[in-house]
Amino acid sequence: MSLLSVDHVSHRYQAARDDRPVLSDVNLEIEPGQTLAVVGESGCGKTTLGRMITGLVQPSAGAVSFEDTDIWKLHGAGFRRYRRSVQLIHQDPYGALNPGLTLEEILSAGLRHHRIVPRREVHGEVHRLLSLAGLDTSRAFLQRYPHQLSGGQRQRLVIARAMALRPSLVVADEPVSMLDVSMRISILDLLKSLGESHGLAYLFISHDFGVVRYFAAGGRIIVMFFGVVVESGPVEEVIANPQHPYTFLLLDAIPEPNPRLARRERSEATRIAAERIEAHPAETGCVFANRCPFVRDRCRAEKPPLQAGGADGHLSACWYPELVPAVTTAAEAMAAAAAAAESAAATAVSQPAVNKATADKGVA
Amino acid sequence: MTNTPLNVPAAANGTVAVPTQETPADTLLDVQDLTVGFGKVHAVEGVNLSIGQGKIYGLVGESGCGKSTLAYSLLGLVPPPGRVVSGAVRFRGQDLARMSYSELRRLRARHIAVVFQAAMSGFNPVITIGAQVDHLLEAHPDVYENRQEGRKYFEELLHLVRLRPEQVWRTYESRLSGGMKQRIAIAFALLLKPEVLVLDEPTTALDVLSQRLVIDIVRDLHDKLGTTVVFVTHDLAVVAELAERVAVMYAGRLVEAGTVEEIFFDERRHPYVKALISAMPSVVADPASLKSIPGQVPDLNALPPGCRFAPRCALAQAVCHEVEPELRVSAAGHAVSCHVVNGESGEGGGE
Repeated sequence: MSLLSVDHVSHRYQAARDDRPVLSDVNLEIEPGQTLAVVGESGCGKTTLGRMITGLVQPSAGAVSFEDTDIWKLHGAGFRRYRRSVQLIHQDPYGALNPGLTLEEILSAGLRHHRIVPRREVHGEVHRLLSLAGLDTSRAFLQRYPHQLSGGQRQRLVIARAMALRPSLVVADEPVSMLDVSMRISILDLLKSLGESHGLAYLFISHDFGVVRYFAAGGRIIVMFFGVVVESGPVEEVIANPQHPYTFLLLDAIPEPNPRLARRERSEATRIAAERIEAHPAETGCVFANRCPFVRDRCRAEKPPLQAGGADGHLSACWYPELVPAVTTAAEAMAAAAAAAESAAATAVSQPAVNKATADKGVA
Repeated sequence: MTNTPLNVPAAANGTVAVPTQETPADTLLDVQDLTVGFGKVHAVEGVNLSIGQGKIYGLVGESGCGKSTLAYSLLGLVPPPGRVVSGAVRFRGQDLARMSYSELRRLRARHIAVVFQAAMSGFNPVITIGAQVDHLLEAHPDVYENRQEGRKYFEELLHLVRLRPEQVWRTYESRLSGGMKQRIAIAFALLLKPEVLVLDEPTTALDVLSQRLVIDIVRDLHDKLGTTVVFVTHDLAVVAELAERVAVMYAGRLVEAGTVEEIFFDERRHPYVKALISAMPSVVADPASLKSIPGQVPDLNALPPGCRFAPRCALAQAVCHEVEPELRVSAAGHAVSCHVVNGESGEGGGE
């Protein structure tokens, strides 16, 4: 029995300017304790998918099931149990907290509503949640309002609030993208350790492969383009060996925080794809055809199915996976960087070497 | 020396580039001991920086470090109630604080252009993009012989930012995507042929492929037009991609400045910069080597004594909690403000 499953889900927003589906025929399963990452550009439907799984959006077609029961057929106690078990961590910790409530009120509201603990134990439980999330538990801190917290503290509070209801699945929608760089790893580490200690499953939504590789190591990933799952599989396998051109392009285009790696030549395919960025998704055939640098006639005529492309349940929806170039691996990138550094040192040996010597003197 | 930036009366003769003091020929902008305050809080404190011609500069830091305030000071734009408390910004030797309103207006149009972070919302929604180009050309009639010439140049700029003129010319802002608007804003900023282009967070909130496009465009415009670029970002990956020289800010202070190689690889680096680099998740870096920085950015209302990074710094010594370190510049021009790295912590020297 899977914890949560999404079966043939499609969705259109009624008020949308065009009638393109936000999600089309999406299928996925999340097992207890498993992490599933969802990656794609803005507008690919990943947030809608998260909202659907938390029951905030009803799909136009298909079903979202919690413990094998369609969540839109749940009533009473069953529905309350689902609502409690599946929690959402929003992208924006500034908008996710009621500015008129103190920290204690924010954390105790859910505890009281769902009667997680007896009333007289609520205060103690709030303490426990704050320390669980690595926050101060002093009396003064409990009486603070969200605006008195930093971005990192707010996100910890949002996490504590989600943990209050003892969930089994947490949907984390870009949980670190609005935080300062120096805070990101600590928030990801907190989520990871809570996952391990509480046996949580995660649906981890992100646009950043670096963050996904760090957080979802050992888990699975799905890559979405305009509502269509174009590739899925184990995180490490998909990142090392992408079978869909879109995944390859996302990986190749990533800016690297290392000038020697960052300035390496990106593939010609990436340059072409970046310039086709405004192209609309294709109406017929492969959804990525209008932006794909490897597009062939067949891609415009027939829609490729999501099928086995690599090892261990690695699926991709591409007619020509053999055209997808290999990504530069970390080892190759490092070797290329070292070579570049060597040649740079060789050409610049006369001038900076002198500078280096005087530099040390200047400092001392 | 205390200056209010926008309303110091000066002779409004319409020319800007009158050097009032000697500066090296290739220095365009010179920031000297600049402190910008909002009430009692100093968003930027004691910053020295010089922007030379024809390079790409990255200004890096986390939110609230003063990087945007510093960047806007380069244009004489300090948003009220902020004011320049002390120090000066000079463009070709001329103090911005002593320029008249019309001089500043000309400076911002012809010499230093800016693309704000919210550039997408800077268009007039009820007239076409083409009409807005015409308005800009009418407001500055001395740049081109005639309007046709200006329009022709704008079309060239559109090609540079990877757009086709027919996509843009008769279009209203509401018909364009966020990424297109941002690229059009870059073309607008370049229309009057400025020497310096300031970009505030040019890649923030963009998808990876859009980021790649903006990075390629900035490299291109730098190569083809020779424009000096100053960009503000919190993303070290974008710095690694684009910048030739980098300045890192922390809690209002400039903590390190140097070439991009120095910032990423030099032996002598600020501990904050090192820590920031090892806090960046990436697809190539070893996940086990990633470490977050403990604690958080200090409140500018309640700064710690001594070095502002000391409470979070793994290398901090006694002196770091007492004395604020000074920026020490190597002969190569690599500046770092850290007692430990500069060898000032051992015998308590360096004061």
